[in-house]
Amino acid sequence: MTAPPLTPVAPAARPVTAPDPAPKGRARRRDRKDRDTISVEWVKLELMRTAYATRGGLLSKRDPRVVIWWYLLFAVVPWFTHSVTVLASLFVLAAVAVLVSRVGPLVLGLFVIGLLAEGFYLLVAAAIFGGGTESIVALAELTLKLGTISMASMAAFVSLDPEKLSDALLSLRAPALLSFAVSYGYRMLPMLMEEFHTIIDGHRLRSAPLPSKGFLGWRVVVRLGTTVVQAFYPMMLNTAKRTRTTVEALETKGFTFAAENDAGRRIRLAYLKVRLGDVVFLAVSALLVAGAFWLGTQFPVLD
Amino acid sequence: MSDTSTTSTPTPGASPSGTSTDAGRTRPERTRPTSPGRLRRAPNELTSAQKLMVFVFSMTLFGLANIVTEVLPEITIGPVEISVSYLVFVPVVMVSLFHPLYAALGAPLGEIVFVDLLMGDFSGIGEIEGYVQLFLGLYVAGCLVRDPRNRRQLAVAAIVAVLIDKFLSATVDIAKVLVGIDPDSLGEADGLVQGFIALEAIDLLVALVVTGILFGALPAMWLAPRLYGKIEPLMGMEPRDPANPPTLGGRRAAPFILLAVALTLLAALFAFVEQLDEFNGREDGVSTWGAFEPEFLEEYGTGFLWVSVAAVVAVLVVAVLVTRAVVRRRGADR
Amino acid sequence: MTPVPAAPASEVPAIEVEDLWFRYPGAADDTLRGVDLRIEQGDFVAVVGGNGSGKTTLCKTFNGLVPHFWSGDLVGSVRILGEDTQDLTVAALSHRIGYVYQDFAAQLVRPTVRDEVTFAPVNFGLDDWSERADTALAALDITELADRFTWQLSGGQQHLTALASVMALRPRVIVVDEPVAELDPARATEIYERLAQLNREGTTVVVIEHHAEFVARYARSVVLMADGAPRWHLPVADALARTSDLDDAGIPAPQVVAVARALEQDGPVPLTVPDAARWLDERGHRPARARQAPTGPAPTGQAPAGQVPATTRPRGQGEAAVAARLSGVVHGYRSVSGAWNPVLDGLDLTLREGERVALVGSNGAGKSTLLRLLTGLKVPRSGDVVVGGTNTKTVSASQLSDQVCYLYQRPEQMFVKDSVRADVGYFPVDRKRSGADELVERVLDRVRLAELADRDGRLLSGGQQRRATLAIGLAMQPALLLLDEPTSSLDVRSRDDVIEMLAALAEHIRCVVVATHDMHLVAEWADRVIVLDGGRIIEDTDPATLFSRPGVLTRARLVPPQVAQLGATIGMLPPPLSVAELLARLAPNLPDAHLPDAHLPDAHRTRTDAR
Repeated sequence: MTAPPLTPVAPAARPVTAPDPAPKGRARRRDRKDRDTISVEWVKLELMRTAYATRGGLLSKRDPRVVIWWYLLFAVVPWFTHSVTVLASLFVLAAVAVLVSRVGPLVLGLFVIGLLAEGFYLLVAAAIFGGGTESIVALAELTLKLGTISMASMAAFVSLDPEKLSDALLSLRAPALLSFAVSYGYRMLPMLMEEFHTIIDGHRLRSAPLPSKGFLGWRVVVRLGTTVVQAFYPMMLNTAKRTRTTVEALETKGFTFAAENDAGRRIRLAYLKVRLGDVVFLAVSALLVAGAFWLGTQFPVLD
Repeated sequence: MSDTSTTSTPTPGASPSGTSTDAGRTRPERTRPTSPGRLRRAPNELTSAQKLMVFVFSMTLFGLANIVTEVLPEITIGPVEISVSYLVFVPVVMVSLFHPLYAALGAPLGEIVFVDLLMGDFSGIGEIEGYVQLFLGLYVAGCLVRDPRNRRQLAVAAIVAVLIDKFLSATVDIAKVLVGIDPDSLGEADGLVQGFIALEAIDLLVALVVTGILFGALPAMWLAPRLYGKIEPLMGMEPRDPANPPTLGGRRAAPFILLAVALTLLAALFAFVEQLDEFNGREDGVSTWGAFEPEFLEEYGTGFLWVSVAAVVAVLVVAVLVTRAVVRRRGADR
Repeated sequence: MTPVPAAPASEVPAIEVEDLWFRYPGAADDTLRGVDLRIEQGDFVAVVGGNGSGKTTLCKTFNGLVPHFWSGDLVGSVRILGEDTQDLTVAALSHRIGYVYQDFAAQLVRPTVRDEVTFAPVNFGLDDWSERADTALAALDITELADRFTWQLSGGQQHLTALASVMALRPRVIVVDEPVAELDPARATEIYERLAQLNREGTTVVVIEHHAEFVARYARSVVLMADGAPRWHLPVADALARTSDLDDAGIPAPQVVAVARALEQDGPVPLTVPDAARWLDERGHRPARARQAPTGPAPTGQAPAGQVPATTRPRGQGEAAVAARLSGVVHGYRSVSGAWNPVLDGLDLTLREGERVALVGSNGAGKSTLLRLLTGLKVPRSGDVVVGGTNTKTVSASQLSDQVCYLYQRPEQMFVKDSVRADVGYFPVDRKRSGADELVERVLDRVRLAELADRDGRLLSGGQQRRATLAIGLAMQPALLLLDEPTSSLDVRSRDDVIEMLAALAEHIRCVVVATHDMHLVAEWADRVIVLDGGRIIEDTDPATLFSRPGVLTRARLVPPQVAQLGATIGMLPPPLSVAELLARLAPNLPDAHLPDAHLPDAHRTRTDAR
């Protein structure tokens, strides 16, 4: 549960809920402009984008279970080898997969920067602790491994609609709660964001404006932090009421019935079909991976 | 059902009394039958619906909290990122107020679903590790709180939750490096491992201060006492009774927790055994078997195969047992 | 005599309750106290009763949520179509009886409409799930919404979706909890029309309702709940004739009934506007000739139907200082595809001190956007918003709130602190106003919440919550007070309370703007109505004039109060705004008419009980 660098957009670039900096005492004052600030709209847009997965790409047309198997292939295989040649080949394969999956440039850019930066910091740290050139080789190996796996997940999941993904997991016998959670999230997220935003707005309007930003804007940061924390008090109470209704409704709609009864699951997953194209796709991927290993035996590098 | 004695039932509406006298007043004074009602339950036993409710509630709110985290600014100083990993006070308050097991099961799923899946940031198997780590942290934290009005207990709970989660994830990361690097070069690459450990240690420390204290202990101490006794009735539940707190060794939960902890420790142990294996040059040792399990990373690592195995097993076991318990309870209810 | 003509008495009743008692766990008292009730198949029953009378709990016993879901102490029996709910699970019961919540949005658990409607049939593994969903969507005429996200829908569409998802299991009984509470009147009427259609096709319908007008129009029989048990169950005409019983339960009679009762204390009453017009005609009541409206401007003449007349402010301009001015305001948003959707399109508007402005128009007409622009939470894409001489672009919303206060539609959004007192005091105390504490106490006294002030706002009743939000607004001492739907989801009595309080605000706050669907509020409180449609102002006038312009009313989907409709039907121009006014303007051939107290803001309520 670390902050992943694969954020599809850079939300951190928009400190949405920041209280208005008080212009008091400032000679130059710029008029406020309406920006598409935080949030509710942003979240809705993101959701729609994820939902409609308009990017297309190679993997989005495949059966979601095949995509998961494909991902697992690339997530497992790198751990079998220490050969830099094999790892580099796999890395290239994964990179190609990322490109044909039309992963957005922003996501890709963040990923590359993250990978390089981490490698650099590690090298510095290693140097401090007296690591030699061997460290660089070891680091390269590690970076290739983790990079391959990371790109495989990007290629697999960026173009996969979450509902399809959760259906695939359901068919692989994941708990039904997971698939419920996904659709419930879809349903609730915009509402929740809207409500949270409203509460934050309430705080903005009713609290006193900050006298000044403070050193490095620390007052702004403190205000933001305390406001967010305080906003959860009403948020929790409001959500509690709603959850009660939701769970009652789930009960009447046979959600728990379905947990004990397989018929519903069968109907829901009936649309999942592995076609010839899926088999060919998996076979080709497997062949390419095998090819990488063959390459490793032909051109061993530093092994 | 067959004994529908419809004929004898006087329906108040069926005989409008015609005059303007209140039909209600002519209704004979009634007293409650003295026989005890059916379907009584022990007061602090949750129904399966209430468990589901706690789960969904916790999931929803922590999911929201994570979206909010996404828009909070972060400061990066070189390799050290001073940011809020997550607003841990939200799930800590949940596990303090409600049944810790179901609240702790729900919260990490909220992050996976709301942030990772819906925002297109799903990272495969790494999610499962994250789930188990945070679940363990929260569950233990929830069991430490006997009285949600006691600020000291809340502070300890928040810090413990972050400690367990971050410590497990650091262990996993380090183990991953040990496994991922060719044992031949590992000998010389000692500095790399040490450097890695140092970075992880700094991360842990920062997370402890920022996430654990600033956005964990302090807000939880403020929030939980305010919600105590107010939020539970909204969901049709009794507030937590300080005299009868949840225990880690709760009947159903204890085995899962022990199992999960044992598996995690086992996983870490295996990582080192594997290292030894490879140092000894045994190709068919435990290590190759271990390599069967998939692994994945999101950035620099939340994962390592053995912990993944452990995680998958633990999650499956928990899921199966919980479902079964719920089903059994449901059967008993009828 | 059973209240329902539709079903033969021999048939198994849809719902049969026998000596039912229920107590929630930990509660001191029984919520249901010896309920006996029999609802025949094919009936359309309205369950009415004050808050806390046990209506909702009773209805939850029908589909087994009580006691299967909400544990508690239950004695007695409930049979649905002859089967005891104790012997069936909630899941099994949902095939027999469907339930639509008051908070229907929380009932929708899936992202798209089709998902939502197929959810239950798929869960139950029904092979004809797809057909069932199609049928349910078609029956409610929302097939074209099938692929929309539920959060893209309007309130009315969400309600229909919730109804369709319940209907997909083809229950023979449906229970709908307060369909009108969260919807505007035009949409509520739509819901009721669909319910009536389902009822004609054989579904038994039970609604919990406290708007007597809908009960009168659609129900076949009425159950009055009081103190946890039905007081009576009567055919609708008989039930509504018992105005004093209904009034006791906080369900004031529909305005047409109030008119009839004011003229005749006994006998049958009309239930709809056309009935009432006939009723008046039969008894020789006609509008007095050449009588001017006691309030408002001279009649401006009837506008030709379907044509929007050029807007003219009836009152002279410039008589009062400007409170806020919008000039050339354009605002909107970009959709996913990047297309520009204007919400406000070149709007010019001047609000003056001393005005009581109602902002009306259908959903999406731009009412809320306009209010948000006035608060400074948003600034216009182009054009200017000037509030009290300050252009909103030049200061932060936080600073602007010294002058403007905006009260959200849903009170719980205004409660950000843990007590009403803290919420009311938030603004003045945080901004270190002198005498803040006394101000808070004074305001709390005024809204009659002083003794409840230490409770969390959310735990108050609906009416108290509205008063608490008003208190928050008062304590901010704004020059311009903006309210979004201040009377929605209130029962009629609490609504009258709020209207009364709004009327009393005039002396303290220079200009009040209310965005609302509630035409009673418009009729009784406002002195200026601005009708928005498609981002533009299509009418700017006073209430009586508005109600005489069918073209504008239709275009903006407005439904005037019954009394205005009735007045218009019998030829009163401009239409009357209250029962008292209508009665006063009838030809004086009434020897013993009982006139309600004309000065009360809630004058449309009947006060004619002999007691």
